[in-house]
Amino acid sequence: MTELIRDTYRYRELIWALALKELKIRYKRSVLGFMWALLNPAFMMLVLTLVFSSIMRFNIPHYAIFLLSVLLPWTFFSQSLSYAVEAIVTNGDLIKKVAVPKLVFPMAAVVSNIINLLLSLIPLALLVPLMRHPFYWTWIYLPVPLLALVIFTTGMTFFFAAANVYYRDVAHILQVVLSAWFYVTPIIYSIDMIPQRYRWIFKLNPIIYVINGFRLAVYYGQLPKAPSIIASFVCAFISLAIGFALFKKYQETFVYYV
Amino acid sequence: MSITSKLPMSYDQPVIRLENVTQRFRVIHERPDTMRELFSKMFRHNSSFHDFEAVKNASLEVTKGQALGIIGRNGSGKSTLLKIIAGVYRPTSGTVEVNGTLAPLIELGAGFHHELTGRENILLNGLLMGYSKREMQEREQSIIDFADIGEFIDAPVKQYSSGMYMRLAFSVATEVNPQILLVDEILAVGDIGFQEKCFERISKFREAGKTIVMVTHIMANLQRICERAVLIDHGSILVDSTPDEAVALYHNLMNVEVVAAH
Repeated sequence: MTELIRDTYRYRELIWALALKELKIRYKRSVLGFMWALLNPAFMMLVLTLVFSSIMRFNIPHYAIFLLSVLLPWTFFSQSLSYAVEAIVTNGDLIKKVAVPKLVFPMAAVVSNIINLLLSLIPLALLVPLMRHPFYWTWIYLPVPLLALVIFTTGMTFFFAAANVYYRDVAHILQVVLSAWFYVTPIIYSIDMIPQRYRWIFKLNPIIYVINGFRLAVYYGQLPKAPSIIASFVCAFISLAIGFALFKKYQETFVYYV
Repeated sequence: MSITSKLPMSYDQPVIRLENVTQRFRVIHERPDTMRELFSKMFRHNSSFHDFEAVKNASLEVTKGQALGIIGRNGSGKSTLLKIIAGVYRPTSGTVEVNGTLAPLIELGAGFHHELTGRENILLNGLLMGYSKREMQEREQSIIDFADIGEFIDAPVKQYSSGMYMRLAFSVATEVNPQILLVDEILAVGDIGFQEKCFERISKFREAGKTIVMVTHIMANLQRICERAVLIDHGSILVDSTPDEAVALYHNLMNVEVVAAH
């Protein structure tokens, strides 16, 4: 684990440059360029708000905010994984020619998506007063679930990036896993809608605690209880420990399989 | 480029040291790329691979300021040896020691991204080689000057001609002022003018007391730049001598095979 921190620090400039490269390429040759990072979530919000406030009516007031408060972190999670799973394979040519620390590639995928997530919080912050939803002081708590989410995601990206080097099926399996995972996580619904006796099953889901932190702070204006915060960090560090251990163990042989 | 003062005492200390290095590759004839193939392979119990030693028990010391050439046939293990020194491969057995900053000119422009401009690629490539952002910013102008590609520096590199691409890549790799230069058959690129510039720069590297290891098929280049040469065949170092002697033996080796084939 100290190795991870040391290397991340040592190669911070490279990770940052690769993350910016990722974003630059994503928005290159588009007229609005970087604005899309803001416009994309803004348009998504517009659509969701229209759909759920006029067409499909839920019992949840300000459903768009209820949904977006956790959909944005979820998007960060799934996008980071989708990018990172290919990170080693697509940089295969480079890995075969230059002695470069392998961890920078999945890390860069996470960092570029952190930037996207932070940018997407801006339109959400604008939507809240627009929908006349109270702007709670608990927004300032967001860095805490954000940190847990980033750690959790980083661990998962290490795992999937390494596994995909050996079996390219992993990238496809990941998409299936992510779409199933999306529905078993209380994102479009609330855990309160689940009958009491089945709730324990949902609580086995490691991402639920961190997701819960986002929704409580943004939508309900509450802070999660201590056990929930602890659980979110325990899950995050387990993910990181397993993911990085595997990545570290196999990184020397990536060069033969890419 | 600054020419650092020569320190005579440090000249014979090895900057690259390989000891009994073996690099084994597993050549899988029909690699199971997907799980289905893996499972079907497992049930059929046929392991269709063989191990192949690209470098066998090689020992080599290069002292500071030496220019070493590596020659041999295609597939003899030259490039693998260079990549072991560069740290791309971690050898199956043996030890590798490298003291000093490396500039691997193994495949020029390996870290370039086609959508980024030349200027953006200078920074990214430098960071990939392990230099800091500040070091790269300090050298940006001299890299651009040496590459001499004019306005194109702010165009995406996908619009470059292959010559321009090579010029910029060579410039980035050498302008960072490395202590050890690893060159893999790259001097064949570019027009004659640029080739001369490359030779000039490599000569300056030599004068500055830097270490050079180059793989080449062009014997004239070897004799022009290197003072020492190793001949490698089937992964083993056959000869470690002067360029003239190594080249003579190389020709002998090829002749023997030609005669044997008839």
